[in-house]
Amino acid sequence: MTINLFQILFACFFILAIAGVFRRYRAAELGKRGAWFWMLFWLVALVVVLWPNSTVLFAQKLGIGRGTDVVLYVSVALVFFLLFKLHIKIESIGRDVTRVVREHALQETLEKKK
Amino acid sequence: MFLALVPAFQEQQRIGSVVRSLFDCVDGVVVIDDGSSDKTADTARLAGAVVLRHSINRGQGAALETGHVYARRVHADYVLHFDGDGQFDPNDIAPALRALKDSGADVLFGSRFLDRRSTIPWFKKKLVLPAARRINAFFTGLKLSDAHNGFRIFNQSALSKIRMTHDRMAHATEIPALVKKHHLSYIEFPVKVTYHEYGQGVRGGAQIIKDLLFARFIK
Repeated sequence: MTINLFQILFACFFILAIAGVFRRYRAAELGKRGAWFWMLFWLVALVVVLWPNSTVLFAQKLGIGRGTDVVLYVSVALVFFLLFKLHIKIESIGRDVTRVVREHALQETLEKKK
Repeated sequence: MFLALVPAFQEQQRIGSVVRSLFDCVDGVVVIDDGSSDKTADTARLAGAVVLRHSINRGQGAALETGHVYARRVHADYVLHFDGDGQFDPNDIAPALRALKDSGADVLFGSRFLDRRSTIPWFKKKLVLPAARRINAFFTGLKLSDAHNGFRIFNQSALSKIRMTHDRMAHATEIPALVKKHHLSYIEFPVKVTYHEYGQGVRGGAQIIKDLLFARFIK
């Protein structure tokens, strides 16, 4: 098996990402489910980069011609999903901000009235 | 007690006259200044209104709900939603309140389409509002003649049950949905609208649909 520079760089990046997930889990910044998901995600990415032909097997089972196409489709779907989750989170934080702003406005006025 | 709730953002030019015009029709005026950087709050206070000031801009829906919370705390019997830009006619308030009381309904929705006093821009009248009406009916199950009219009156029962979560303009769709959800009764009443600005266009409508869809995923 010959490994080229592209594979070495990406493999290093993915190993660092796995270490990052582990570190965040230990620091309680990431839940158990989240840690498992991201650990698995980066491990799969590492396998795909080191053994690119592994995707061909999966692609053929799905009826998609090339392995790289599977990677592309999965990546795009994942990016959309993450954007959606991020948007929901931002909206939810916005509502929390509104609650704080509202309570502050009410307290300020009701205290003045006393 | 009948309270007028007036959400306002950067309205220092018109808010004073709007507040003064309301005192003949209601028992108290509450202006919710939604983070204006001009003198909206000071002008409203000088005109005699109680001012609730959002320290940052959160949107019209958020401002109205702030007014609702205040109205619940001071035990208001009726609340009126009235825009701060002077587009509504204060002469509509007394007959509207009378109509609500006579009907025994919980909520009154103002409508530009029940008489011919309002002059609505052509594009808005023929395209934006009919589309909004259908979208509103789809999301709320309530068929109103004027989907996004900011003139409304709630009685105490409606005030206690309608709790808006949409910060921006989607509250106008959320209110009829909550009316249906809580089995509140409602009437429509003709009001006059004078346009100073165009208001919401197609882009605003798209934002509302996006807000309504995403809100279904927020806990």
